Amino acid sequence: MALRVNYFVDETVSNLRRNVLLTLAAVSTVSISLLLLGVVMVGGEVLTKMVSSWEGKVELNVFLRDEATPEEVKALGSQANGMPEVEKVFFESKEQAFEEYKRMFKDSPAITENVDPNALPASYRIKLKDPNSAEAVASRLQGQPGVDEVQFGGEAMKRLLKFTGVVRTILVIAIILTLGAAILLIANTIRLGIYARRKEIGIMKLVGATNWFIRVPFIFEGTVQAALGALLASALIYAGKVFGLDRMQDAILFLPLTVSSGSIIRMFFTLLAIGIVIGVFGSSLALRRFLEV
Amino acid sequence: MIRLENVSKVYKGSVVALRDISTDIQKEEFVFLVGSSGSGKSTFIKMLLKEEEPSEGTIYVAGKDIGQLPRWRVPYLRRNIGCVFQDFKLLANKTVRENVAFALEVIGRPKNIISQRVPAIIELVGLTDKLNSMPHELSGGEQQRVCIARAMVNRPPILLADEPTGNLDPSTSADIMNLLERLNESGTTVLIATHDHAVVDRSRKRVIELDGGKLVRDQVRGVYGIG
Ligand SMILES: Nc1ncnc2c1ncn2[C@@H]1O[C@H](COP(=O)(O)OP(=O)(O)O)[C@@H](O)[C@H]1O
Ligand SMILES: [Mg+2]
Repeated sequence: MALRVNYFVDETVSNLRRNVLLTLAAVSTVSISLLLLGVVMVGGEVLTKMVSSWEGKVELNVFLRDEATPEEVKALGSQANGMPEVEKVFFESKEQAFEEYKRMFKDSPAITENVDPNALPASYRIKLKDPNSAEAVASRLQGQPGVDEVQFGGEAMKRLLKFTGVVRTILVIAIILTLGAAILLIANTIRLGIYARRKEIGIMKLVGATNWFIRVPFIFEGTVQAALGALLASALIYAGKVFGLDRMQDAILFLPLTVSSGSIIRMFFTLLAIGIVIGVFGSSLALRRFLEV
Repeated sequence: MIRLENVSKVYKGSVVALRDISTDIQKEEFVFLVGSSGSGKSTFIKMLLKEEEPSEGTIYVAGKDIGQLPRWRVPYLRRNIGCVFQDFKLLANKTVRENVAFALEVIGRPKNIISQRVPAIIELVGLTDKLNSMPHELSGGEQQRVCIARAMVNRPPILLADEPTGNLDPSTSADIMNLLERLNESGTTVLIATHDHAVVDRSRKRVIELDGGKLVRDQVRGVYGIG
């Protein structure tokens, strides 16, 4: 078997070298297809992060009555903590509320001076696992002993969530479409490459080559082309991050427009895997017709 | 070694290439298959390699009915039959050396055997100075000799040759025939399809003649024309 591996490697290298044009065509098609897919994946990650950070800001505010007893307050806190939708519960006392209020208006002392430190209510601020459950949680807490009012974003928040939902759906569709396009483009390039060499395949069979003996170098070639394509696509995306996104990030500080190098590396391996899978299956399928000699 | 029983071949479009052929070629025999162009010689050879299937009848190679051979066994049949194709069938993007070596790589011969046997056989067909040429850089006769070298290199028990002297000048053609006869003397069964009178008449071997797909003559020490 060691001999065979040697032959297969030699054969793959010399085929790649001798069919330079086909190799270039294949590598560039693979890299363009994967580039498209990669851009959608990275763009998706940026958007998802942005959307999640908006959604993460959605909180429920449960304002407490001034006359609520400490037992009521405690019971309410543990009830909220026990709900499956709830991620975290913060308590804000009247004093903390006032401190926060002063901090918000520190540039306008006129406003704070006239406010009684006791005027602001104590509250629970509740972070949810899924912001879509805000309404349900709010209605369950409303009317519990000690609760004055439950506030959540209401209409504005519903609209935000609808928007983020649409963004996520569009992303999934875009990924499916670009993945489909990549599969078709790459499979078609492989098919053309094999078609161009169908005579060669027929001759090999007449000289006594088994199907596997013919297939393996093609699969190796497909793998090398897929790997080169994935590498090229990832390099371009990395360049896009360094020269595009990162500079934009410096300019627009309030938007979380970052992609970590780690996620680019993850994307490279994803693209590599996708490319290789398409390469192996595509070449096996395309070869089938010409192996029947 | 090769036996045909009532073999007919009708191509799609109802061209009858062979009609009810029965013949038997013994181990280590040397046989010419003659006939004018279109008489069915190439079809005869293609069926032995299972490149074409007979429409009727049975073909035995080395005692086995090759019609019953499962698809995956076909490569092993072909490894036992060296074939010089009428259209050469050289691999266009491999050098002369690699084309010949391919027949050995297919059967998994180790590198040292390949690097020793390939130049030797190429020298035998007189192409040592073309070892690293590509097929498109060779003349028809040179390509034919590469094809002969490839067919012989793994020392198959059977050698088929379809017009092996078709593109050669008389002196090279005589050299090639000598080569094939020597191969036969070393134990290989040889079947040569040809319409080259000179070659057949000089050798005085068994002649099977086809005419319009029918076997019209089978003569032990024949010449090309009846005589
Ligand atoms: N693939 C094919 N399809 C249809 N007809 C064919 C095919 N190959 C050969 N023939 C026909 O079969 C007959 C015999 O051809 P062939 O075996 O090539 O003869 P030869 O080699 O003696 O010249 C011819 O009439 C030829 O036209
Ligand atoms: Mg012919």
